Amino acid sequence: MSARRFWVFIEQEGGKVHQVSWELLGVASRLASEVKEEADAAGDTVHVECILLGNQVESIAREAVKYGAERVYLIDEPELENYRNCPYYKSIVGVVRKYGPEVMLIGATTLGRDLAGAVATALRTGLTADCTGLEMGEVKGSKQRLLLATRPAFGGNIMATILCRHSRPQMSSVRPRVFPMPPYNSDAVGDIVREEVPLDEKDTEACILDFIHDQAESVDIEYADVIVSGGRGLGTPEGFKLIEELAHELGGVVGASRPCVDAGWISYAHQVGQSGRTVRPKLYIAAGISGALQHKVGMQNSDFIIAINSDPNAPIFDVADIGIVGDLFEVIPAMIKEIKARKEALA
Amino acid sequence: MFHALVAIKQVPDTTNIRIDPETGNLVREGVPAIMNPYDTHALAAAVEWKRKLGGKVSIVSMGPPSFIVTIREAVELGADWGCLISDRKFAGADTLATSYVLATVIQTIHEKDPIDVVFFGKQAIDGDTAQVGPGVAVRLDLPIITYAVKIRDIDLVKRHIIVERKTEKWTEVVEAPLPALVTCEKEIAEVPFAPLPDLIRSLRYDPEMWTMDGPAVFDTEYIGVRGSPTIVFKMGTPPLPEAGEKINSREVGVEAAIATAFAKADAAGILQPILGGVK
Amino acid sequence: MNTNAEKIRFDAIVVGAGLAGSAAAMVMARGGMNVALIERGQKAGGKNYFGGAIYTHAIGEVLPDYMERKPPFERPVTEAGFWFLSKEGGLTRMTVQGGKLANEPADAYMASRAVFDVWWAEQAQKAGALLIPKTSVVDVIWDNGQVVGVKTDRAQGDVYAPVVIVCEGVNNILTQKLGLIDHDLEPAHMALAFKQVIALPMDTINARFGLPDDQHGLAASVLGDVSLGLPGMGFVYTNKTSVSVGLGVMLDTVVEYKLKPYEILQRYLRHPAIAPLVKGGQLMEYGAHLIPEGGYRDMPRLYTGGAMVAGDAASMVNALHWEGTNMAIVAGKLAAETALEARAQGNFSAEALAQYEARLKERFILQDMKQYRNFAHFLETHPNFMDAYPGFLNDALGQFFSAYGMPKKTLFKNILGSLTSRRQLMKVVGDILSMGRAVMGW
Repeated sequence: MSARRFWVFIEQEGGKVHQVSWELLGVASRLASEVKEEADAAGDTVHVECILLGNQVESIAREAVKYGAERVYLIDEPELENYRNCPYYKSIVGVVRKYGPEVMLIGATTLGRDLAGAVATALRTGLTADCTGLEMGEVKGSKQRLLLATRPAFGGNIMATILCRHSRPQMSSVRPRVFPMPPYNSDAVGDIVREEVPLDEKDTEACILDFIHDQAESVDIEYADVIVSGGRGLGTPEGFKLIEELAHELGGVVGASRPCVDAGWISYAHQVGQSGRTVRPKLYIAAGISGALQHKVGMQNSDFIIAINSDPNAPIFDVADIGIVGDLFEVIPAMIKEIKARKEALA
Repeated sequence: MFHALVAIKQVPDTTNIRIDPETGNLVREGVPAIMNPYDTHALAAAVEWKRKLGGKVSIVSMGPPSFIVTIREAVELGADWGCLISDRKFAGADTLATSYVLATVIQTIHEKDPIDVVFFGKQAIDGDTAQVGPGVAVRLDLPIITYAVKIRDIDLVKRHIIVERKTEKWTEVVEAPLPALVTCEKEIAEVPFAPLPDLIRSLRYDPEMWTMDGPAVFDTEYIGVRGSPTIVFKMGTPPLPEAGEKINSREVGVEAAIATAFAKADAAGILQPILGGVK
Repeated sequence: MNTNAEKIRFDAIVVGAGLAGSAAAMVMARGGMNVALIERGQKAGGKNYFGGAIYTHAIGEVLPDYMERKPPFERPVTEAGFWFLSKEGGLTRMTVQGGKLANEPADAYMASRAVFDVWWAEQAQKAGALLIPKTSVVDVIWDNGQVVGVKTDRAQGDVYAPVVIVCEGVNNILTQKLGLIDHDLEPAHMALAFKQVIALPMDTINARFGLPDDQHGLAASVLGDVSLGLPGMGFVYTNKTSVSVGLGVMLDTVVEYKLKPYEILQRYLRHPAIAPLVKGGQLMEYGAHLIPEGGYRDMPRLYTGGAMVAGDAASMVNALHWEGTNMAIVAGKLAAETALEARAQGNFSAEALAQYEARLKERFILQDMKQYRNFAHFLETHPNFMDAYPGFLNDALGQFFSAYGMPKKTLFKNILGSLTSRRQLMKVVGDILSMGRAVMGW
């Protein structure tokens, strides 16, 4: 009899949890359920667990329980106040070696991607980056189900499913917003296990001298409910004024396709797609975006998509719930007018 | 003297990739091969600091002999020396095996000619994994600074580097002891337009070819397919979602087209809560 | 200051790695000269574009063993001719196959310039020329009335050589700086050609164009309802797994009527005779290029002390026969041979390089250019050749091959009426005479 552990790394900075961590707890719970039958038959137990690092972050550990963690391994040290690659990866590696999880999921955020490669290399195990699909599947030659991690490659033109046969844990980094939030259960109970990993002086040599908060716009398109995105069809950078106006009317934010960002029409923070952000808003309006695969993979999980393009054959229409073939410079102003009218009627 | 080493990769220009309409396979033929754009900027930063401090820039790349052109491009942009690690036995490597080979080669170079800073692009545009840089840092036990947008200082006397790195929330100013490994965003440096003599030198430049047989010593356990814990289980094109309705505003009129679109969004329960929520 | 020792020196400089440039570089390098082949694009011929099919006689003249070097050809041209489109959706085909078109290797092959030009430049590199890409030549360097080198857009970018062969293409900046012509190539004589390459499965192409396999291909010039009645011609070329469809119209009409090339092309592609051929295909590329069709009268002087001009920059295009690539290749070769001879004699003066023009005169290039010297003017003044006659042809054949239960006398009268309603009989005779003048050089 053995314990099969499904781990999630809880990402927090300054006591604030990145939402992808909760999304991954949902995924871990599902993956655990996919091996439940097999584990029962073999007399194994299955556990959904988290690892959390930081300084005075126990309250976050309790939150994790409510999102589905049976147990949280907590390393709470002043040294871990701010994220740094070396002390973080070495601490995690220490705890992983002690408990031997079968699967470990990390959010594919800037922090998570910095960390995941280091952890995987130190453990000499396989890591699949930026996954958009995860399941525990049967694989010929393996008694237990393995983690099948699917990710886009070549700018989203190909989906590759990757597995890691022998090394453990099977690691994946997962993009925010690909998976839904799990239910929150305020009555849930679970253990919090404090761990200590001794660090060398050398491990903490690199230090953060300063934090610069960009006073300029900080757009959070990842978690916006409404996104209005513009593409090359806008013709000029000024075209984004119209996009902004529509986004403003809808209480949403402005997104953009890669060519606009590459051309310097708008900052990278707005870029939706494989090389930008994955988004999952309630409403996504794509205007003048042809719909290259690399864009589509970043927005196709939106609840409702309206596409506006003058080319009836634009691939963006393949993912749209409804497409309007026409000149965006006619359609959007009319849309703004209609929305204003509706809002007035509601008020 | 400053010694920078830049690890570069040749990648297909993913903006030009297309799918064969008959087979649904990726057509790589005719797709231009380029130096990974992030690597180009990392190289530009290395060259900038070489010019400031005096010293040299070395290049390593891994891949088939056709990658020589990419090393030549690096020489055009100001690199002084390059080697291509090329051996069929390295083929099929995943990020773990790749980081082993690169780390071994960098270590070998370092022993002969100590390196101050190892530069990587933040990720390659074909794989988008961003794993090899951190992997090499762990193997060489170097401090790593990812997502670097600016190098504030490299001090060869105090033996430190100060870098600005961009996270989702803020920009951090990080100091690390040398030698260090930095992975770079495009903002790190502008790619220069090389002077003609550099270009001509690069066209005639032949990089050193390193293989399994040397000069670096590899353990066959850790290279190629054997050294790669992950395998590709299957490949496919992304599933085509079902296309929704399309209305032509030139035919039905703009207002009618919008009315249809909004009616459908209403039916899906999308629009009302959004409009209701906006002040 | 640069001392002499630091100067970048070659035996010859070729500007532009297109068809003419690589041919010139190849021939000079083979003759033992140290050649710099300077190209502004990322790759050889990076900005080049044509319909297109390429003629093998010219390739073979420069590179006799070209077939062994595996040129990246698409299908051979085994069927060629004219298609006439009418406004009513009709199509009359006048094409030839078999005979000379069954030669092997074929007289012409479809090709993509982006691919072919790279291979062509590789042959020059194999011969020993140094291809210097991503570098624009912005000026020439004079010494004592003689060209001695070029200036590029790069730092420390001067390159010296006793002879420069300019194959810069339609944008003739250097030809002007050389004083060989005092203006841009005439916009009124410039065709704007644009095309789409549409991917289709090989079997579909074979079926739609009636080709037995991918070793057979069609190249057709399309006249009639192609370019909104403006002077222009369309084309259709079959590649292995794609079809190249496009058209050329005169640049000044595009400007004058504020036409959008893309829309003209879209309209042409929607013609009932064209649409089924490309239906269901996937657009692979869309591109446009200027073609100097001014002919003989627009040609610059072809040489000066230390420099020669070949290809599009010298207006070496025969619009009616879609010839240009072959002229460019042969002209590049002739310029190179002139340079080799000049080198042997240690004399690169204008008098010595005059040999270049003499060689062009001995060949089809200057002979054809001269014979067709009136053609550009003819097209300008006879737009009905693009409009009235193809319509008439479709109508006449349509009537001829239909039974209406009417006496044949009435039928022929109707056909004649169909012609005269489009164009007065006297004008038809005049058109034929002008056509003869334009083509035969009467």
